[in-house]
Amino acid sequence: MNFAFTDDQLALAATVREVLAAHCPARAARTERTPAWSRLAEIGLFGLLVPEEHDGLGLGLLDAVLAFEETGRVALPGPVAETAVAAPVLLAGDPLLGKLAAGSLRVSVRVGDQVYSPDADLADLLVVERDGVPYAVTPGRARLTPQSGVDRSRRLFAVDFDLESDAESDGVTRLTAPVAPAIRAVTVAVAAQLVGAARHLLETSVGHALTRRQFGVQIGSFQAVKHLLADVAVAVEFAAPLVYAAAFAVDRGLPTAGRDVAAAKAAAGEAAELAARTALQVHGAIGYTEELDLHLWLARVWSLSAAYGGTALHRSRLRAEILGSAGPVRWP
Amino acid sequence: MDLDFTPAEREFRAEVRDWLARHVPAAPLPSMDTGEGFEAHREWERLLAADRLSVVSWPVEYGGRGASLVEWLIFEEEYWAAGAPGRVGQNGIFLLAPTIFSYGTAEQRERFLPAMARADEVWAQAWSEPEAGSDLAALRSRAERVEGGWRLYGQKTWSSRACHADWGFGLFRSDPASARHRGLTYFMFPLADVTVRPIAQLDGEHGFAELFFDGVEIPDDLVLGAPGEGWRIAMATTSSERGLTLRSPGRFTATADRLVRLARSDGTDPVLADQVARAWLDAEAYRLHTFGTARRLAAGEEIGSASSMGKVFWSELDVRMHTLALRLLGERGLLDGGAPGAEDGGRWLDGFLFSLAGPIYAGTNEIQRNIIAERVLGLPR
Repeated sequence: MNFAFTDDQLALAATVREVLAAHCPARAARTERTPAWSRLAEIGLFGLLVPEEHDGLGLGLLDAVLAFEETGRVALPGPVAETAVAAPVLLAGDPLLGKLAAGSLRVSVRVGDQVYSPDADLADLLVVERDGVPYAVTPGRARLTPQSGVDRSRRLFAVDFDLESDAESDGVTRLTAPVAPAIRAVTVAVAAQLVGAARHLLETSVGHALTRRQFGVQIGSFQAVKHLLADVAVAVEFAAPLVYAAAFAVDRGLPTAGRDVAAAKAAAGEAAELAARTALQVHGAIGYTEELDLHLWLARVWSLSAAYGGTALHRSRLRAEILGSAGPVRWP
Repeated sequence: MDLDFTPAEREFRAEVRDWLARHVPAAPLPSMDTGEGFEAHREWERLLAADRLSVVSWPVEYGGRGASLVEWLIFEEEYWAAGAPGRVGQNGIFLLAPTIFSYGTAEQRERFLPAMARADEVWAQAWSEPEAGSDLAALRSRAERVEGGWRLYGQKTWSSRACHADWGFGLFRSDPASARHRGLTYFMFPLADVTVRPIAQLDGEHGFAELFFDGVEIPDDLVLGAPGEGWRIAMATTSSERGLTLRSPGRFTATADRLVRLARSDGTDPVLADQVARAWLDAEAYRLHTFGTARRLAAGEEIGSASSMGKVFWSELDVRMHTLALRLLGERGLLDGGAPGAEDGGRWLDGFLFSLAGPIYAGTNEIQRNIIAERVLGLPR
């Protein structure tokens, strides 16, 4: 038992953090759809999970989970988790993996519990599940219907395509990889992004509580404000280990992986929603404006918490796993 | 990161599990807050100690096994999962001993630790006073310097286990000119020299007591650390109390697992079932988080104020789990061990009442949230 990240894993996260600090300022999310994409490609983010024979790094989710926390910390726009985490699994063995690893193939994914494809209009390839079968669809064959919503830097689209008889035709390819492992992996990556977003929201709320003065004092000196923020700190502190453990379970293919992923997503979603709700309350009216960047994180938390199954769905899975069997409750 | 246990860790778990299967009494021991129950729990501690299982993480020379923190956590998981008796010696083992290891003299370690490991001497804590609860630094009990030692005067309260224990430890103001955190000294004292007035708790048991000091004579070698340094030394102890040592995850994972078994029936209300799933998840989160803490401690890092986050988390989880169990059981859940209809010998009710103390003792959760806000997040005092 060694619950700690390696120096390499920490170094990768630090590199991603530096790149994002330099190339994804908060204002970028207002004007750009994929800020820092090429920089992240340069440091190999999109090849982390691609096998070495396809010019990737052949690493696991545990190696990437802290890096994904960093992408959540800046509310990074673009189909990053889909391209870097879901696509390498869905396109296993495909010659496109080389392009994917280089960051030259943006992929939007709609599998599992997803109803819409995020950032589908930016994608070079769409992976869409229909009747339990995943298809790779080129943009030319896909019909996109925009579904505008609260997160304007993670746009959703209904995607449809024609399947001529059951045969494959140009631009529509039936994928052979099973979908479940890709869903698990991308769900963990999104859970990590939620943890990162929650950490940012806590930091920015503390920052506001230190600078905003009322009644002649910093509002962070009021116990009511302190306790709101302390509760967020506790929620984030105890959600993160579940996300890391889920990454471990997915990498190892443990029989508990499904349960652990559900636990991670449910806990990370709840912690991040608490962080968002509290951040808005601590900021007060200025937080309720478009002018302040805070709303970018609020919208991202809401959209990611609902993505790949929301808290209620994942907890119902957990409930089925834990309460629905007669087996041992915990370790063997 | 490797969440698999090593072969040595698995072997240790198997040994502990086997030992507990052979030794844990079939029927619960009488309450440790009665004279008879206290002695029964002391005998249980001796049984543990005979196989070096009472203080596994201590060095061998003091009665332990020199086990790693991870092995200690494994011990705790097995211990509570087996439904073994509560630890009557826990105030000494988990609160005082870490302080003796850090600040005690070689003579004090030799004098007190082996006797503590065998429960030959059971310890009571004596922090609070009538006018010094959450505001511990307001304490008034004092120590007067005399030839070769000290005389203790004043009053302590909410002293857990004091009705039947042998020794106590706490802070006294040794510099009459001092205020607040300065001029305090950490004393150990035999309870035989102190007037102990039992206080009935809300379950009617005498789990704590008031202590009256009327010039109790204490030799110099019962001072822990330097005179006047008591606050700093005590804070080291209280962060043990909040953090890793007092409430290991094993307690909460065991409770969560019992709760899951209770909820595993077709008729369980789906809303309660959802809350049970969440409680299970939170116990698992605390367990994983603690393995991370153990790793950082083993690497020489200090946990400090971050232990307050754990205290808030486990104490509120414990209340939530026991409240859920009582809701699942309905009226039966409110029956005590004397009632023929009680579930599991009234353990859920006992646990519920005990859990309600969690957000109060070891620093109320309001104090913990202040600590988190001020010392972890950096908000102004």
